[in-house]
Amino acid sequence: MNTAVQILVSGLTLGAMYAISTIGLSLAWGAVGVLNMAQGGFLVIGGYAAYAGATYLGLSAPLALALSALAGAAVGAATYFFVIRFMLDCDNFETNVIIATVGLALIFENVILQAFGAYPLRQPVRIEGGVNIAATYVPYESIAILAASVTAMMAVAWVLARTRMGRAIRAVSQNRAAALLMGVPVNTVYLQVLTISGVLAALSGVMLSTITTLAPTMGYDPMLKAFIVCVVAGLGNMYGALYAAFALGILEASVQFFLGVRFGFPAMLLLIILTLVWRPYGVFGRGVTQRF
Amino acid sequence: MRKDVAIGLPLLVLAIVVPFAWPTRYVVEEMTLFFIWAAVVTQWNLVFGVAGVFSLAQMAIFAIGGYVTGMLGLYLGWSLWLAMFAGGLAAVVFSALVGVACLRLRGAYVALLTLAITQTMYLLIITDTECFYMEGVTCRNFTGGTRGLTGYGDFGFHQLLPHKYAAFGDYFLALAVLCTATAFSVFIIRSPVGLAFKALRDNTVYAISRGIGRFKYQLLVFAASALFTGLAGAVYAGHFRVMGANTLYLSQTLFLLSMMIIGGVGQIWGPLLGAAALMLVDEALKEVVEWRLLGLGLMLVVFVVVWPKGLAGGVEAIARRWRRDSVRAFAAVRPEEVASAKE
Repeated sequence: MNTAVQILVSGLTLGAMYAISTIGLSLAWGAVGVLNMAQGGFLVIGGYAAYAGATYLGLSAPLALALSALAGAAVGAATYFFVIRFMLDCDNFETNVIIATVGLALIFENVILQAFGAYPLRQPVRIEGGVNIAATYVPYESIAILAASVTAMMAVAWVLARTRMGRAIRAVSQNRAAALLMGVPVNTVYLQVLTISGVLAALSGVMLSTITTLAPTMGYDPMLKAFIVCVVAGLGNMYGALYAAFALGILEASVQFFLGVRFGFPAMLLLIILTLVWRPYGVFGRGVTQRF
Repeated sequence: MRKDVAIGLPLLVLAIVVPFAWPTRYVVEEMTLFFIWAAVVTQWNLVFGVAGVFSLAQMAIFAIGGYVTGMLGLYLGWSLWLAMFAGGLAAVVFSALVGVACLRLRGAYVALLTLAITQTMYLLIITDTECFYMEGVTCRNFTGGTRGLTGYGDFGFHQLLPHKYAAFGDYFLALAVLCTATAFSVFIIRSPVGLAFKALRDNTVYAISRGIGRFKYQLLVFAASALFTGLAGAVYAGHFRVMGANTLYLSQTLFLLSMMIIGGVGQIWGPLLGAAALMLVDEALKEVVEWRLLGLGLMLVVFVVVWPKGLAGGVEAIARRWRRDSVRAFAAVRPEEVASAKE
């Protein structure tokens, strides 16, 4: 019983971490086809912004979080203005965006490294304490991440489904040319999506860094996991991403428990390859499957 | 073909002359490393540029070549000359498997899956702590773990050659791999197989409807691009006498990716040009090594946004303009000859 609870708790924690790092990524990739390899950099910038706010400026936790969100919005908007804007009309938009954002990721990593150093820091913006559930200690941070990931995912799904802005985003994702002809301000939609995605990434960066530590390279691992969640779930399905994140978290926790920690990720990868052979557009994906 | 020989031959002569004209250890070392990376990038270009499959698994294939070579040398006592080819073959098999795994995916999905494969290999190696054999009182892991795989020796040039020229052995071995790799890639790109790759890249549906099987050609391009990548990995392992997980760092993959992008994706001489350019830039950035990543990243962004055809595309555009100008100049002098030539 205790073992089951332990696996469940660590699985849910992992799942929540994956889910929260997936949201921003899934929005930009699923909705407007920008696979943002700098998403890890967004996470890191958000985490360090909160750290800087709390440490150097002496801000309280909510203000530090607000500063982090502001930093995320700024970085997202800057990504649009300095990179994405110029690439919208090029031939291989989807793949070229990957390469350009890889470049951005390197720039972010280098700047953070020079500004804060490589030494891992402790995130001061956090909730202390925890609770015991069936002899397993659960930190409040984990519960907060779980709640935040579910709330944020539902909020984004609601915005996409119900608001005017969400309708514009979906229109652009379905057919950019047609959306433009119908009077949808396509460029503004890209700017909006990247800004929102930046804010979400920055906030999740703060939360993730409370469980791990702040380091200039801390973004890569959650980003890779988030990609995997997106790929398994299929694009354009927020709830699917939520299920996939938790399923993968619990799977990884069980494999780590029964086979050893080092096989957690490889087992996940194997499962993913098998899943993709079965359904190339993800389990919940709506893509048209073509036979080639 | 003749144009390729005209470009390649002078470069080869130059590469042969350089170590004799400039026999410092530094130059020979840097050039050897350049040959190894350039060989990998020319092969990666086949998958990435010519076939248009966004694979990021090239360094994993490289590492398979290096590790298999090292392990055969260490555990079975093979000579590295023999182990090298086994390493190349292992890389081919591994790469074909990666190709099968990505078969039904496209675009960004392939990039993510292959990136995850590379990352998994890296994690499995650095978390390897089980004792595989004991060396005195120190415990050694099967893959060498974080310390890297060592103890399998090298290609034996130190015994074969006089001391002064010992470093030339690895230099010319790496050069030989690069030459055959380049010749192989030129041959593939100019052959009907290369046309099939390009057809599948440019219009998959149409290519398939003309009878070009995706399964066959995707396997073929993954397998074909792996042989020389694996051999380059083997040369790397033999040259440094240690094979480590540092070859699987994301930054290493991105360094080689930058070579391809900046050189010109899908162009025959792009990878070589890009590898040379990036080695030089990297050398220049050694003065300000703490900003190396920033420099790399900035170059990637600027090239993709402003100049997606890379240096090779730029050279070609200049060459075309120059040719047009010379034709025009000729026409101004002898208009009747140009007119008759046109007919």
